[in-house]
Amino acid sequence: MILEAKNLTKSFGLRKAVNNLNLEIPNGSVFGFLGPNGSGKSTTIRMMTALISPDVGEVFINGKSIQKNGSKALSNVGALIERADFHNHLSAKTNLKMLARMDGTDFSNIKKVLDRTGLGNRANDKVKTYSQGMKQRLGIAQALMGNPELLILDEPTNGLDPEGMKEIRDLVGELSSEGITVFISSHLLDEVQKICSHVAMISLGELLIAGKMQDLLRNSEMLMTEIHVDQTEKSINLLSNFKWIHRCDEKNGILRVSIAPNKIAELVNILVQNKILVSAIIPKTSLEDLYLSKIGIKSKVNA
Amino acid sequence: MLSLIHNELLVITGRWRSYIGFIGISILMPLILWGFVYGSESLQNDYSRGFEGSFLIVGSIINAFLATYIIMNALWIHIPFLITLAAGDAVAADGSNGIFRLTLIRPVSRLKILLSKLLASYIYSASLVIFCAFWSLGIGSLVLGTGDLIVIDNGILVINESEAWLRMFLSFSLAIIVMCMVSTLCFMFSSMVNNGIGPIIGAMFLIIVGYIIIAIPLDFFTKIEPYVFVSYFNIWLDAFKDPIPWVVILKKLSVLITYSLIFFGISAYVFINKDIKT
Repeated sequence: MILEAKNLTKSFGLRKAVNNLNLEIPNGSVFGFLGPNGSGKSTTIRMMTALISPDVGEVFINGKSIQKNGSKALSNVGALIERADFHNHLSAKTNLKMLARMDGTDFSNIKKVLDRTGLGNRANDKVKTYSQGMKQRLGIAQALMGNPELLILDEPTNGLDPEGMKEIRDLVGELSSEGITVFISSHLLDEVQKICSHVAMISLGELLIAGKMQDLLRNSEMLMTEIHVDQTEKSINLLSNFKWIHRCDEKNGILRVSIAPNKIAELVNILVQNKILVSAIIPKTSLEDLYLSKIGIKSKVNA
Repeated sequence: MLSLIHNELLVITGRWRSYIGFIGISILMPLILWGFVYGSESLQNDYSRGFEGSFLIVGSIINAFLATYIIMNALWIHIPFLITLAAGDAVAADGSNGIFRLTLIRPVSRLKILLSKLLASYIYSASLVIFCAFWSLGIGSLVLGTGDLIVIDNGILVINESEAWLRMFLSFSLAIIVMCMVSTLCFMFSSMVNNGIGPIIGAMFLIIVGYIIIAIPLDFFTKIEPYVFVSYFNIWLDAFKDPIPWVVILKKLSVLITYSLIFFGISAYVFINKDIKT
């Protein structure tokens, strides 16, 4: 594991922002970190990068405790935490030079990372002339400067247009193929599903679920299943009476139901008994479905 | 550490606020020097009234040394404000601008980062005092010329020209130490908050309270005066006493340095344990 968080707990006043959180980030993975606003994502990431000290627990990077070794443990980590903020009155190049001095990295890396993030031709412009998207790319550039083994990106696509988002997604893919572990927090579930090999979900400071993306989608308690039937409306009316069917709707003429995996056979049986022709059953659980089911369950419990 | 100080100097020199002190001095000093040139007769009369019965004055006593001495007497209350303009931002601005999210995640200890900021503030403070010296002594000697320095302080002290340079050097060096202490005070407040104005107000408030305490001759104030750091700000005046009171200077220096260490200690404790939430 390149990063391990053990029993992380952090309170601000009476509010527990993160509660006994355990996470393991495997080497070489692209790890998605999901949760609604105020769920403790940013606090967790800040504890992982030594910006916030946990009340209890430790974060280990390559086996070295951040809390015991201080910022030395971050020597192989690059990070962009939330919005990318720089000294606006200085150029991108000067800003990166300042950070390179802190990293102890060679200035030759600056051109490399600026070119890689598409800012090579604006290197000498003051940051205050940059758009938010360009600042965000500069934020990723500074994170890459020290040739990190682990890249931590907190909402990296914030403020980016769809093209910018795609660029970041492609870049994350490239970095991952180079063996860099990427830990990424985002609200964009579709994006996360496209690029992440692993995922963890957090709500109200507690970890809900973590693991390989495919395993989680496959073993979800609530599978979203598309069922091709000849009478969609009748099917919906019929299935709406069963409490174990959590969601039942129609999209483009195809019936979509959310049920537990062991209930599929029973569902098909009901449809057939009611003279509805079933021609195909396709599992279609998306990360969004998984997220909504998990976060929904947590919200209900706390309500 | 040098590369970190280099970084901080880049930030300080890039902020327009850092130049307010230099601009102010550049406007004020020519005016003062102009005043010395055109108002020297009345000044000479006023100044020499106290000793004209004992001394025969040949030529003018108004020169760059006397001008510098008078300017320093007038400005030593105001220069701290100019110092705080840069020191107030030293830590707080990085917090409010979100820069700590870039710098504190790097493999450099917070103590080193804080120390580099403090040393850069010291360089700024020293530059401002040296800039003052450049105007009053450097440009002043071109405009007013040089000569013996006559100091009236519990008597009359005439310092010959060659010694006056050394005394001025000592005086400005001591003034730099005082301003570094002011810088550390403001720096302490800067490490506690996330905006640059609060530390300036906090530091100036304490300094003004200190000035009031040492100015009002009440028994209680006289008793607490030794513990008020502002009462040591006039250490630069000791450079113009005869003989130079080295023991007193060392004592005052040790008090100023002790206060600086305490202020920096508090800054370090706050900063190292600070959660970066902005």
